[in-house]
Amino acid sequence: MQQTVIDRIEPVAEDVVSLTLRGTDGPLAPWEPGAHIDLSLPNWLTRSYSLCGDPADRERYRVAVRHDPLSRGGSEYVHRFLRQGRPLEVSLPRNHFPLLPAAEYLFLAGGIGITPLLPMLRAAAGAGVPASLVYVGRTTASMPFLDELRSRHPGRVRVAATRRDGRPDLAALAATLHPDALVYCCGPAPMLAAAQAAFPAGQLQVERFRPAARTFPANTPFEAVCARSGRTVQVPADTSLLDALVHAGLPVASGCREGVCGSCELALLDGEPEHRDDIGAPRGRMYPCVSRAVSERLVVDL
Amino acid sequence: MTHARTRPRPVPPAEVRARLGEPEGRVKDKILDHIDDQFRRFIAHSPFLTMATADAAGRADCSPRGDYPGFVKVLDAHTLAIPDRPGNRIADSFRNLAENDGIGLLFLIPGMRETLRVNGSAYPTDEPEVLARMQTEARQPKLAIVVEVAEAYGHCGRALIRSRLWDPASQALAGEMPTMGEMVAEQLGLDIPPAQLDQALQENYRHLY
Repeated sequence: MQQTVIDRIEPVAEDVVSLTLRGTDGPLAPWEPGAHIDLSLPNWLTRSYSLCGDPADRERYRVAVRHDPLSRGGSEYVHRFLRQGRPLEVSLPRNHFPLLPAAEYLFLAGGIGITPLLPMLRAAAGAGVPASLVYVGRTTASMPFLDELRSRHPGRVRVAATRRDGRPDLAALAATLHPDALVYCCGPAPMLAAAQAAFPAGQLQVERFRPAARTFPANTPFEAVCARSGRTVQVPADTSLLDALVHAGLPVASGCREGVCGSCELALLDGEPEHRDDIGAPRGRMYPCVSRAVSERLVVDL
Repeated sequence: MTHARTRPRPVPPAEVRARLGEPEGRVKDKILDHIDDQFRRFIAHSPFLTMATADAAGRADCSPRGDYPGFVKVLDAHTLAIPDRPGNRIADSFRNLAENDGIGLLFLIPGMRETLRVNGSAYPTDEPEVLARMQTEARQPKLAIVVEVAEAYGHCGRALIRSRLWDPASQALAGEMPTMGEMVAEQLGLDIPPAQLDQALQENYRHLY
């Protein structure tokens, strides 16, 4: 964890505020475009937000938060109750959405999905790689960082306010895409689905705020052997591995509990997992908030 | 088994005011008919409340509710929603509300001496958009209690000061109590080792949602 203080909190679009967090214990941990951090909020909730500032600035992190009308208490807290000057504990940056080398980049942002793409566009432009951004929102007033993007990246940013302009034609973009280009998309579920329909899977990288709607085989019970503590925990069909471990008193962090943020990542030592996350668990890792087991037994490093 | 009863003498209702004196100056003025920004902040930081309801005959009941701070959602300035988390399933509050929709809430914030009182009327709901805001450990409550606010006001801290409620040293009081298992075994005359009851209770406490 890292200690910060809220340097600035300011509205950057309708229902969106940006938070500038200054490290109070020396330089903040470095990060690459696409990374996110967890904020430990005073109401005991942990919430993940993409870093959208300048990776070269080791003194500050910047995140932007949209007030979700169905907030369970995270974005509502940030909007209504956080104040400048308040200390805030944040995690080390994690990156499930790294910018991979490519001959050209196309960035597709939907609303608050601009946040991870903002530093990507800056990095690509800085490296001299051709890059463009298609930025979609309901209205321009609801889209954060428009002025910053237009002034910093003239000619690279296309804005589509759907109420005025309709939705951009992704198929047309796909038709003119460089064969070695990569497409990075972050936005609401319908936009990700449209991108997945328009672009070849090998060229598309997506990041979700909420899990994709999918169906899984019926839950089965299994057991989790915790190699370090020597404990064996039974995981009933109606309980997640994360909750079973926490109920057994084992220390596992958690954030979204939906398989998108990665804060509960566990090292898997043996057994066959059934991955249900939207992150794409690397080999030997799993996210116990959603993922279960194919084998009757998993051995985890806990 | 019969127990001797004591009945200290009652004071007639008309005399009570005379004995206590009039309320201090602005006390009545501070009663709001809605949740303003200050009270919204109070509720957002409160992990615990007591909820009083009564049946049609006025027989009263009070029960605790608790979760992470802000577990009670302020839907608008006149409306709150309280999640119904798993408890003992006796559902006294729901039974009372079915007969009598009056409700009284007292919100507490650990470390804070002043409390928030909210009174109004209430009913159960299963509105998906309300329950979605209450999801914890990937589970939504089956029901929530909607409170239509009639009165909201801050209550002074004297009771909490006198009770030393937030003084860490006060927690030594719990050490003077028998365990729940010991109490129940004695009260019900059970032939089960109290430690076994305590362990079963502990198991139960692991499933909070």
